[in-house]
Amino acid sequence: MVRLAQGDQSALEEIYRATRVKLFGICLRILGDRKEAEDALQDVYINLWQRADRYDPARASPIAWLAAFARNRAIDRLRTGKVRGGAVPVEEAAPLADETPLADMLLVDAQQAAQIHKCLGALDDRTQGHIRAAFFEGKTYAQLAEAADVPLGTMKSWIRRGLQRLRACLEASEAA
Amino acid sequence: MSAPEDTVPEDGVTRDDPMIAAEWALGLLEGEELLAARGKYTTDPAFAWRKEWWDDWFAPLTDAMPGAEPSGHVWVGIAARLAAQQADVAAPASDAPASNVVALEARVRRWQWVAGLSSAAAAVALAWLALAPDSTVQAPPTQIAAAAPMVATVPIGETGLRLDVTYIPESEKMLVAAIGLTADGVHDHELWLVPADGSDVQSLGVVAPGTVRAMTLPAAVTAKLGDGAGLVLTREPIGGKPDGVDAGPVVAKGAFTRV
Repeated sequence: MVRLAQGDQSALEEIYRATRVKLFGICLRILGDRKEAEDALQDVYINLWQRADRYDPARASPIAWLAAFARNRAIDRLRTGKVRGGAVPVEEAAPLADETPLADMLLVDAQQAAQIHKCLGALDDRTQGHIRAAFFEGKTYAQLAEAADVPLGTMKSWIRRGLQRLRACLEASEAA
Repeated sequence: MSAPEDTVPEDGVTRDDPMIAAEWALGLLEGEELLAARGKYTTDPAFAWRKEWWDDWFAPLTDAMPGAEPSGHVWVGIAARLAAQQADVAAPASDAPASNVVALEARVRRWQWVAGLSSAAAAVALAWLALAPDSTVQAPPTQIAAAAPMVATVPIGETGLRLDVTYIPESEKMLVAAIGLTADGVHDHELWLVPADGSDVQSLGVVAPGTVRAMTLPAAVTAKLGDGAGLVLTREPIGGKPDGVDAGPVVAKGAFTRV
C-alpha cells in the first residue's frame, strides 16, 4: 500500500491479483448482479490508485481497509444508481478457494474479528439479524422494516439501540 | 404494529453524530441523509474518524462473504483507465515548468480549504472561487483547463432562483448550492447527471433546500462528468425517486461548463 501511494502501477496489479476474489465477492454480494459488481470492482481499484494516500497503516490492516472500501463503493452504487439490487443467492456466488500467494494478507485481524462477532452475538437475535441483513445485503431501514412488517420508526429504534450497545461493547474491548 | 411512526418511542437512543456514522457505515442511509453524511465526512474530522472506526470494526464481517472470480476484462478495463489518466497527466506536464504543478496543487488546496468551511462561509468563498479574476495563479491555459472547476447553473423556472453546482475535477468533490430554495414538506427535488456521451442518467441525490452542501462523488459519477454534461432537476416524493418507478417531472435543467 505504501508503494501504491507513490503511484506504482505494478503494485496495483499485485494488489488486484491478491484481493480481487475477496473484493469481487463483496461487490457481488451487495449488488447482486455480475455486471454491476464488475463495474463496482473497477471503480474500487481505480479509486484505490487515485487515493491510496488515504490509507493509514496505523489504523487498519490493508485488507480490512480494502474490504470496507469495496463494500462502501458497492453500497454507494446501490444507492446512487438505484440498482435493483439485493443480495445474491448464495449458490450464485460460488465460494472459491483463493490460490494467491498473499492469502494470509486476506485474513482480517483474527482478534478483531473475534471481538466484533462476540459483541454482535451479545445482541438479541432479532436486532442481530437486522444488523446483519443491513451489512450483508445492503438493506435500508425502509427495506428492513418492510421485510419485518413493522413500522419504520420501530426498526430504526431497534437498530439504533443495537448499534449503541455494539459501540459500548467494542469500546470496552479497546479499553481493555 | 399499526402504530404510526411518530408514536413509537425512541427508547432514549440519541441520534448523535457517532450514531449517524454507525448507520452510514452499516449502509442504512439513503437520499438526503446519505448526502448529508458524505458532506459531513469531508468537513468534520471527528465524524470522519468515527465512520472509519465503524468501518474498521465491521470489516471482519466481510470474511463471511464468499469470494468470487471476476471476469478477465475487469483488469483490462482498469489498466486502460490508468493508462488514459497517465496520458492526461503526462501531456501537459511534459512541456510545463514545475511552477504549473505548484499552481495546480494550490488550486486543489484552495478547494480543500473551501470545502472545510461552514456552509454559509463556503457560499461566499465559492462565489470568490468561481467569479474572481485569478490573479495569484498564473498557469498557462492548458493547465487551467486541466484543473479548472466546472460549474452548472440550473435556473428554477421564472422564479429567479437557481441551483449552483460546482465540481472540481481533481477533488471528486461537488458543491451544490440551493440558497433561497425552500422545502414544501411534500416533495423533494432530485438532481440527475445526464452524461454527454448519451449513457444512462445518474442520480446525484436529493437537493437540500437553503444550504450549500459538499459531497464526494463516486467514481461511477465522476467518470461521466465532463464538458457538456447536463443536469436535470426532478420533483419527487420525499426521500427521492422510489425504486422501480419513473422519475418525476423535470422542473429545471442546466449544463456543465469550465470556468
